[in-house]
Amino acid sequence: MFLRMIRGTLLRQWKKMLMIAFTIALGASLASAMLSVMLDVGDKMNQELKTYGANITVVPKASSVLNDLYDVEGDTSGTYLREDELGKIKTIFWAFNIVDYAPFVSTQADLPDGSEVKLTGSWFNHHMELPTGETLDAGICSMRSWWEITDGTWLDEQTMTEEHSAMIGAALAERLGIHAGDTLHVDGTEAALDLHIVGVYDAGGDEDEQIYAPLHTTQTLAGLDGKIDSIEVSALTTPDNELAERAAKDPSSLTVSQYEIWYCTAYASSICYQIQEVITDSVAAPVRQVADSEGAILEKTQLLMILITILSLIGAALGICNLVTASVMERSSEIGLMKAIGAQNGAVSGLVLTEIFLTAIFGGVLGFFAGFGFAQIIGHTVFGSAISLKPMVIPITAVLVVLVTLAGSIPAIRMLLRLRPAEVLHGGH
Amino acid sequence: MKRSSMYLRMITASLMRRRSRMLVALLSIAIGATILSGLVTVYYDVPRQMGAQFRSYGANLIMTGTDGAFTTEDMAKGLAAVPADALVGAAPFRYENVRIHEHPVVAAGTDMAGAMATNPFWRVEGEWCSSDGQLLVGKQIAESFRLKTGETLTLSYTPENTEAAEDVTLDLTITGILDTGGSEEEYVYLSLHDLETLTGEAGTLDVCELSVQAQAEELKQYAGQISNAAPGISAHLVKRVTASETTVLSKLQALVLLVTVVVLALTMICVATTMTAVVTERRKEIGLRKAIGASDKSIITEFMGESMLLGGLGGILGAGLGFVFAQQVSLRVFSSDIRFQWLIVPVTIAVCIIVTGLSSVLPIRSATEVDPALVLKGE
Repeated sequence: MFLRMIRGTLLRQWKKMLMIAFTIALGASLASAMLSVMLDVGDKMNQELKTYGANITVVPKASSVLNDLYDVEGDTSGTYLREDELGKIKTIFWAFNIVDYAPFVSTQADLPDGSEVKLTGSWFNHHMELPTGETLDAGICSMRSWWEITDGTWLDEQTMTEEHSAMIGAALAERLGIHAGDTLHVDGTEAALDLHIVGVYDAGGDEDEQIYAPLHTTQTLAGLDGKIDSIEVSALTTPDNELAERAAKDPSSLTVSQYEIWYCTAYASSICYQIQEVITDSVAAPVRQVADSEGAILEKTQLLMILITILSLIGAALGICNLVTASVMERSSEIGLMKAIGAQNGAVSGLVLTEIFLTAIFGGVLGFFAGFGFAQIIGHTVFGSAISLKPMVIPITAVLVVLVTLAGSIPAIRMLLRLRPAEVLHGGH
Repeated sequence: MKRSSMYLRMITASLMRRRSRMLVALLSIAIGATILSGLVTVYYDVPRQMGAQFRSYGANLIMTGTDGAFTTEDMAKGLAAVPADALVGAAPFRYENVRIHEHPVVAAGTDMAGAMATNPFWRVEGEWCSSDGQLLVGKQIAESFRLKTGETLTLSYTPENTEAAEDVTLDLTITGILDTGGSEEEYVYLSLHDLETLTGEAGTLDVCELSVQAQAEELKQYAGQISNAAPGISAHLVKRVTASETTVLSKLQALVLLVTVVVLALTMICVATTMTAVVTERRKEIGLRKAIGASDKSIITEFMGESMLLGGLGGILGAGLGFVFAQQVSLRVFSSDIRFQWLIVPVTIAVCIIVTGLSSVLPIRSATEVDPALVLKGE
């Protein structure tokens, strides 16, 4: 009988019920869209902030200052990192958070006009097959995203035809009268090479007076086979807190559990520590300019999104509440009739609540998927990538829908139950 | 006159009599309006507020001499070309080669307060220099020479253009060790005045770093103004900072915009359904009016007037609440006041009136088209 009555309501009053389902679907879609975006915005903004370049630099332990200070020549053992260890960076605990990295080696070379130039070797778009089966194109093509190519193109390591190609800074190119496609003879400390200039870049800094060439070209020129000066690493990090700061100073000052928390959180300092573990004789340090600012901006963005989400959740909740209340109140005469023919209060409330909940579940499920669709539209339009579905969104949306439906219907039902059937049926309310 | 006063009485009386139902509708409109005015205000203010956060990346404009060094007068002229409220910090630098224990080191003379404002990411172990006679030492230098804060360090300098073979020396107290993760760690920093005492030359600078709160286009304009105002100076944008800021900030604004659009669309539909429900409920009333001889037109004007009055009230309420929300967001996230766009108030009210009007027009029409007898019978 109970089931028949419910089916009856849903079938006969399908228009009204559809309206309730529609409003609940709207609210649920709003909630799921905003929650999905909010929970993923940190990762997405973190990716965007990678345009600022590396946030960690790795240098040899025998610090470069000593080299500069005392002008050590000849014996350079311990002042270089090993090229064959580069792959290990992608094997650390937080390997997944390492978005990009590039090794650097620089040397002085003589130009045909007698002037001396700084020549830097690096990866441009070095292709790597990782042990995990992933592939990564790492190098300065992505880590120097602010470079403007004024002539020619980026050097492409995979398709370059000339054996020794290079890119040249705009200021130097202008001084030498060189364009993309020209050949430049450089005389390094150990060898002389003809460099095929692929492109001219405008970096807006010191680099404009330099030449960038692939790692091996520079190593050949300087006689530094297998050696590199420094590594720049671009990693997704968690903003530092008090624990991270303490650990950065001295990891041994932590208790075992603190150490584990620190080691297994993607703080800049713990990633640095893990890089130091795999690269022999190295010191990895966060670049404060990038690392600190990233933390500040990520926090602000997340807080902003949280507040916007809270507002829209309140909006959605009140909207649903309203309509549910309205639709229950509308059924005063029906409830009055049921009471007049002897229905118990409990039976009446049970009936109305079940009807509304069936509608709410239908609307909520529909709305959840619609909301996730909205989140994808936002993700693709703004960040060009999908918003990942966090499992957390499902229970939060479900609880929200249930609570709001209850909050909307219970006061209304109680009020109707208090009314006398005769008055309601008479229509004198 | 009489007609219109009667009309007003009918509308307000109807609103007053059905107080609780109308309050529910009013509340829903007000929520919609709050979200509209609050989110739009936040959307307009995000670039300004976030731009201020991006200043933590440090200098985005650099002044250098057109040929080598430039004078402090030039710098003052250049700085005057940038609006004072956009300028976050300006740090002049002069670099000289000095020696510590007979080893060459680069010393930078600067205005410490300016350097602190321009480079918020500099971390100092110990304290910033607060007066002359103090020294900030880069971390790498401190490690190489095993220096600690509180120690006194002697800097020596060999004058270039003088006959005297004597070195000039200056004793300074180390107040802090500078940790930046960049090349700054390889320098020592002292006040400009101390460096001038050491070298015996005053009034010249090598570079001035500026942190200006502006987008790339405005910055280019400022750079042009600086170069015009002080011919001895050429100003450049720090591409790494400005280009990246433009990319990230535009993404962020697009994000807030899309979120605003989605949230608004959904809330406005919500408002519309509520209004439709409220009007549909009154089919009987409409039928009764028709039965006692009211024309369709008069019924539509009366009901529309009621809805729109409700829309207007909700809009006013929501515009106010939206401002409160935007202000709270601004205070909590950016700890500064929001800049309120006054245009949003009339727009919010207008949008609310239009949405409530449109959403009640259809149910009223369908109610007036039906035969009153049928409506009253409840079919």
